[in-house]
This record gives sequence, structure tokens and C-alpha cells, in this order.
Amino acid sequence: MRAWARLLALDLRRLTRSAGTAAAIILLLVLGVYVAWRAGRNVEAAQTSSTAAETAYDDQLDFLLSVYPPATDAGEVLYYLAFPAPQPPLAVSSLARGRAAVETESLRIRLLALEGQLYEHETVNPRLAAAGYLDLAFLLIALLPLFIIAVSYDLVSGEREGGTWNLVRLFAPPRRLLVAKLASRAVLVGAVAAVVMAAGALMAGVGLDGRAGWMFALVALHTVFWFALCLGVAMGNRSSTANAMILAGIWVVLTILAPAALSLANSVLHPVPEALELTVQQRQGYHEAWDLPPSATMASFYRDYPEWSDQEVPEDVFTWGWYYAMNHRGDQAARDASRAYREVLRQRDAWARRWSVFAPPLATQLALDRLARTDLMAQLDYQDAVRRFHERLKDHFFPHFFATTPIDAVVWDDVPTFEPAAPADSAARAGFPAAIILILGSGLALGVGARRARA
Amino acid sequence: MRNSPEGLRNTLLIARRQLGAIRQDGTVLFLLGLVVALGLVAVLGARHHESNEAGQRARYQGIVDEQWVDQPERHPHRVVHYGFLVFRDQAPLEFVDPGVSDYTGTSIFLEGHRQNTANFGEARHSTGTSRFGRLTPASVLALLLPLLVVVAGFAAVSAEREGGTLGVLLTQGATPAQILAGKVLATGAVGVLATLPVALAVAVTAGPGLDSAASALRLGTLAAIYGIYLAGWVLVTVLVSAVRTSSRSALAQLLALWVVICVATPRVAASVAGALYPLPSRAELTAQVEAALNEVGDSHRPDDPFFRSLREEYLERYQVDAVEDLPVNWRGVLSRESESLTSRVFEDHRQELVEGHLRQNGVMAWAGLLSPYLAARDLSMGIAGSGPEAMEAFLAQAEAHRYTIIQRLNELHIHEIRNENDRAQRLAREHWGQFPVFGTEPPPLDGMLANRPLSLAALGLWIGLPLTGLGLARRRLALIGTERSS
Repeated sequence: MRAWARLLALDLRRLTRSAGTAAAIILLLVLGVYVAWRAGRNVEAAQTSSTAAETAYDDQLDFLLSVYPPATDAGEVLYYLAFPAPQPPLAVSSLARGRAAVETESLRIRLLALEGQLYEHETVNPRLAAAGYLDLAFLLIALLPLFIIAVSYDLVSGEREGGTWNLVRLFAPPRRLLVAKLASRAVLVGAVAAVVMAAGALMAGVGLDGRAGWMFALVALHTVFWFALCLGVAMGNRSSTANAMILAGIWVVLTILAPAALSLANSVLHPVPEALELTVQQRQGYHEAWDLPPSATMASFYRDYPEWSDQEVPEDVFTWGWYYAMNHRGDQAARDASRAYREVLRQRDAWARRWSVFAPPLATQLALDRLARTDLMAQLDYQDAVRRFHERLKDHFFPHFFATTPIDAVVWDDVPTFEPAAPADSAARAGFPAAIILILGSGLALGVGARRARA
Repeated sequence: MRNSPEGLRNTLLIARRQLGAIRQDGTVLFLLGLVVALGLVAVLGARHHESNEAGQRARYQGIVDEQWVDQPERHPHRVVHYGFLVFRDQAPLEFVDPGVSDYTGTSIFLEGHRQNTANFGEARHSTGTSRFGRLTPASVLALLLPLLVVVAGFAAVSAEREGGTLGVLLTQGATPAQILAGKVLATGAVGVLATLPVALAVAVTAGPGLDSAASALRLGTLAAIYGIYLAGWVLVTVLVSAVRTSSRSALAQLLALWVVICVATPRVAASVAGALYPLPSRAELTAQVEAALNEVGDSHRPDDPFFRSLREEYLERYQVDAVEDLPVNWRGVLSRESESLTSRVFEDHRQELVEGHLRQNGVMAWAGLLSPYLAARDLSMGIAGSGPEAMEAFLAQAEAHRYTIIQRLNELHIHEIRNENDRAQRLAREHWGQFPVFGTEPPPLDGMLANRPLSLAALGLWIGLPLTGLGLARRRLALIGTERSS
């Protein structure tokens, strides 16, 4: 046992003495701490953004109530009032940003047609977004494997080429030697990963719940997967340079090529004309209504809200009930296109997830985004929550429009508030498939490597 | 380097010898095939995607234009709210390098009283797979080809040294410069071999869209940029191979260099740019705009101070007692003045955002000095017409178009609609056909290059530094030669 520990310590010292390895460790740690700090900033920014939406609503309401006479129709003031729909940020969202940099989850919604308001995005600089996003997930899923490759591609071949293989075999059986070398590398990589993850969890204030637990477990499994791959390749009877090229090639294919090719295929297989269709339809549906008699608009409005079909609006004067019913007509016109739009996005997501089976790092990445609630599905869930909120606001205010309630008769404290979207699936369901893919992938790599070594 | 015919012959001989070695190398051949295949798939796929997108946008722009002209008789203020939908035209070579276009909206709804955001960029519709972007001709050229060059050339000099043949070459009369030049030629040849099919495919598929000499010029400039970028990789590869003691460490160092330049630095730079110059979030920005608009006032609101003084001014100018007696339409005047005030608020805030972007882009430009990949992509998207300035130009042109159309409608309201019974009046349909059509102008090519001095300088350094390095390595190589032969 003591001999084993000595072997391990010796190998660790040998590893860290190499200038390249030391530089890589320092670089990874510095980047890790920086990324963790950014994660903390992201949590703050999400908080600021959601507070801004709430405050802006309060300020705007105060302002409107102060400038409009108390007898003003509620409908007129509500034209200017946007209700906040802030999704409370999850701390883990700052570790795997997914689409969080592009999307906003602090929308503000007016009672007007919803489809025109639902697709606002975050104030992202396209130049930065196009360069790619650096977060903890990227560091651990994309960059850490390169470090694993760098320290283990010459696990056996390095000794053989250095002429030391036969020498050390005198003192220890090859299997124990291999295990010791692997263990020292695992200790090193594991320490770097643990420091980086701990820094991220600490600075972003991530509590140890199921989601965070699954995320860290997936990162650990993903690290094991790369060790298995390296070991599988290193066991072969090839030169160090051949090993390096093979492993770098596998990294490029799994981490860069497969996702990029899948993105291209996805955009070609599932085009999204519905995005433009729904914009055109909503505008036309609403504006046509101005050229129609109010009764025609109301008839289609009552189809969706039979409970108000006894409310009549006059044909010859402007009423706010009619005005907001015309807005609803815009959403009605866009409804099919909007549904089709969401359907295509779901197809894209399912398609990407299905094919990611063949690229374990990608499957891990997708699972992390899902656990962090920063994927496409989370965005659709949020939009659905905003849709429900808009409906509840309409339920609340349409009776006021029909009764032409003045603003001083509206109880503003009773206005419905936004109910955030709940995660669609449990942490285990989001993380499990990727875990299976990683375990199977590791087994496959080791199996193929061992067979090659025996042959 | 001596330019004698014999020197040239030696250089070519060494290049041929190196190419012979490469032809025996299964890995290089496999990678070459892979890169060419991927390049072709990227060209065809990207071309298909872009033309599909262009078709969709053209179709919907047609529908929207038609809907505009076909409007029934309407009150002009009705039309101010009806507004106008515009779609971004695709950049001349967007299929080669989509640049920032995936992250910029494709459609904007232009209406009175409001400035909307451009919505529905491709990034909004993409899954988590898009972390490394889509597979495009630009990403094959800038990201993957350097790897091929590295694999083809990392052992170019070091293997000769390891095999003991370097000394033989030197004693047989080849100068170090000739050896290095031959290795550069051979490694470069592999790069050219991989690039040619992709470049050819780009040229052929771009054919239908190449309606002007300007686009041909763009293609040519693009080819030059990628040529220089890849030449830099060839030089660096041979240099590292010449100075490292073993092929193995040369390969490790080159791969690490590739990771730093192509994978890590772009993301670190983007992250640092965002941290140095944070932008207000959408929620904060809309709140600021709202507050500013409240300060400007609203003509719909009774007793708004600005509009009360405007009324007094008009009453005095036309010597009447009530706005109903004005010879011009008072509501139209209000609408015009309020549009001019509010659009200034929108523009101020948009400009602030644009300035934030520019500051962040400045960081990216400096980072280009560390990562020639960033510099090459920066130039490439500029030339393709899909760079940030093209997208800002689209937004600015859309805003200008919005303002023109809305104010023309307000003028119609002022002069064609009588004060009494204002809302019941309608404008004849002929008016709708007389409005300008929206069209974007891609920014000119020479401005694109002039705007990117840092990226051009970075590419210059990317060639110049390894050339200097090779000059120094030449001396060391010569020393080795004398050591071995003495």
C-alpha cells in the first residue's frame, strides 16, 4: 500500500513539473475563478432585471394615476400600462447559460395583442453572442477534456518512447503502474474540476438541491468518460503523436463538429417560416377589425369568451371593450401560426436531443442547459406562463371595460400577478438520459481499447 | 534566401520530398478528405438554408407590401398604427459567413409612437447545439483547416531531425532557408488542396446571387483574407516544427495553440468585453425609455405643458380662438410634433445601446491581435456584409423609414383631413401606392476594410511574426547542420 502511494506521489510530482501541465493548470484555475465570478454577476443581473420590471410597473402606475383625472376610463390608462412577468432566476442558470444570454425572462406585457409582445429578446450584442459564450459548463465540458487528453495521451507510449517502460516494469507490474499513473491524473483533473465547480457554486450562491446535484454528477461522469476514452486509445500500440492526433480528432468531432453539423441540419430540416407568418397574421387580424363593424369583432371574441356574450358594445361609438376585443382578434388570427411555430421549435429540440446520443459531450451540454432551465423548452415554458398571465389579466379587466369603470374605481392591489413557469420535468428526468449515454460511452471506449490492446 | 535557379530547384525538391511523405500518411489523407467533404456539405447546406430564408422573407415582404397598397380607405392616423413590417435582406455572401446575422432579428414592425425591436433571429430558434455555431463555409475555413495544416506539417522539420536526415540534407548543399521554404510550400499545398474544392463550390453556388462585379470583388477579397490567415498557420506550423526538439512536443504545442486561438480566446474576449462594458437589460432599457417618454409628455393627455404651449403658438400664428378653427388639422399637428419628440427619445436610447456595442466590439478588435482567428472572422463577416455594422445599418435604415412614413401620414392628416368630425374621414386608396418602399443598402466594401485596421494589422502580424521566427530558426538550423557534419 505504501509503495502504491509513493508511486502515486512520484507520478504527480513528475506531472506537475512539466511546464506545459503547470501552465494549463494555472490557466484552467484562473479561467475557472473568472467564470465563477461572472456567474455571480449573472445572478445579480437577472435579479436587477426582474426588479426593474417590477419597479417600472409601480412607477408607471403611479405616474398614470397622477396625470389622468380619476374619471378616466380604465381602458385608456391600461393602454399605457405594462404588467411585469419576471421569472425568478435560478442560481444554477448562471452556471450553464444556454440561451439565457439571448432571452429575457423579465418581459412586461400590455393588454394589447400578445403575439406582438411575446418575442422581445435580451439586449444582446450580436458580435459577442456570435463569438460564443464562456460559462462554467463550457469550461468543464469543452476545455477540461483537452487537459485530460494533454496529460494522458502518452500514458503508455510516452514511457515506451522514452525507453523507461522496460526499466520501470522491473519494479512494478505494468497494470499497477498504469493504474497509478491514471490515478495521479484523475487526482489532478478531479482537483481542478472540484475547485472550479466549488468556486462557481459559491459565487453564484447555488444551493445543493437536486438540480445542482445532477449537474455536478453529470460533469463528473463526463470527466470519467474522457478518461475512459483516453485510456482506450492509450492502451493501443501506437506512437504518442498518433494518440495525440486521434484524441484531438475525437475531441474536435464530438465537441465542435457534431454540434455544428446538427445545427446546420436542424435549420435545414426544420425551417421556421411561422415566425414571420404569425407576425403578419397578428397585425392583419387586428387592423382589419377597424374596418369591420364592431359586432363582427365581438362575435369572434364571444367564441373564445362565451361567458361575456351577453355584453354588447355599441356600433357607432368607440368603446374600450371593443378596442381590446380587436386586439384579441389579432391573437386569434395568429393562433394557428403561433402554435405551428412552437411545434417546430419543439421538433427542433427533440431532434437535437435524439441525435446527441452519438455525441456524449453534446448530450451532457443539453442536459446541463435543461437542468439549469436555460434551454429552448424553458423559454417556451416561460412564454406559456406569460400567455396564462395575459389571459388572467384579460379575465380581470374585461368586466371593467364592459362596465366602463373609471380608474379610481379599480382596486389596483387586486390585479393578478405573474405566476412563474414551473420546471416541466424533474431533475432526474432531465439528467438521467445523459448519464446513461456517458456511462455507455465510457464502457464502449474502454471495451474497444481493451480488445485492441489484446489483439 | 538566394533566388538562384539552383536554390529554387532545391526548394522544390524538398517540397516534393515532403509531399511524398504526406502522401504516405493515412491520417493526413483522411483529414483532407474529411475537411473537403465537410466544406462541401457546409457550402451546400448553408446555401440551401440562406436561400430558403431569403425566399421566405421575400415572400412575406411581398405580402406585406401588397397589404399596404390594398388598404381600404382609411384615416391616416389609423395607418400610423397599422404600421409597416420590414424584413432584413440577406447580406451578399451571408451563406459563406453568416457573421452576426443569426443573432440579429430578421423582421421589425414599424409603427407610430413606438420603436420595436427586430425579432426572430436564427439564434432564437436554435437548440443548445448551436454553441459552436452552425457548420458554415467560414467555420470550416477558419476553424478546421488550421487543424489540417497542423497535422500535415507538425513533423515537417522535426521528423527530419529525429530521423537524422536533416544533417544529410544540409551537407548535400540545401541551405536551411531552402529546407524551410520547401516545407512551407508542401504544407501550404495541402492547405490549398483542401481549400480549392470549397472555394470552387462557394464560387459556383454563389453564381445566381452574383449579379454585380461588387460581389465578385467581395469573393476575391474574402479568398485573400482566408489565404493570408491559412498562410499564417502554415508558417507557424513549420516554425514550431523547426524549433521543437521532437515531433511529439511540436504537435502538442501546435494543438494547444489552436485551442487558445480558435476556441478559448474568442469566448474569453467576448466575456471580458461584456464584463467591462455591461449593457442595460431589456427590462431596464424599456423602463428608462418609458420614464423618458413620460417626461416628454403625451399629446393624448389633457393639460400636458408642452402641448398646451404648442396650442397657444398655433392659435396666435393663425389668429383664431379655438383649434377647431385652424386651417390645418390640429390633431395631425399634435401627432407630428409628438412623433418628433418621442422618436428622439427612442433614438437617444438606441444610440446608447449602439455605443455600448461599439465599445464591446472594440475589445473584440484588440483581442484579434491575440487571436488571428477572431481577426480573420471579423474581416470575413465584414466582407460578407454580415458584420455588426451591416446589422446596425439595417436598424438605422428601418428607423429612418419608420420616421419618414409616419411623418408623411401625419402631413396627410394635417392637410387632407378637416378639423371637424376628424375621425370619421377617410383618405382615398390612391395614397397608399405613393409611399416609398423599404430597401436596405449593404455597406460598401472599402469602408468595411477601413473600419477594421486592428484586424488587418493582426493578420499582418500573423504573417510577419512567424516569418521573423523562421528567419531566426534558419540560423539555428544551420548551426545544427554544422554540429552534425563536423
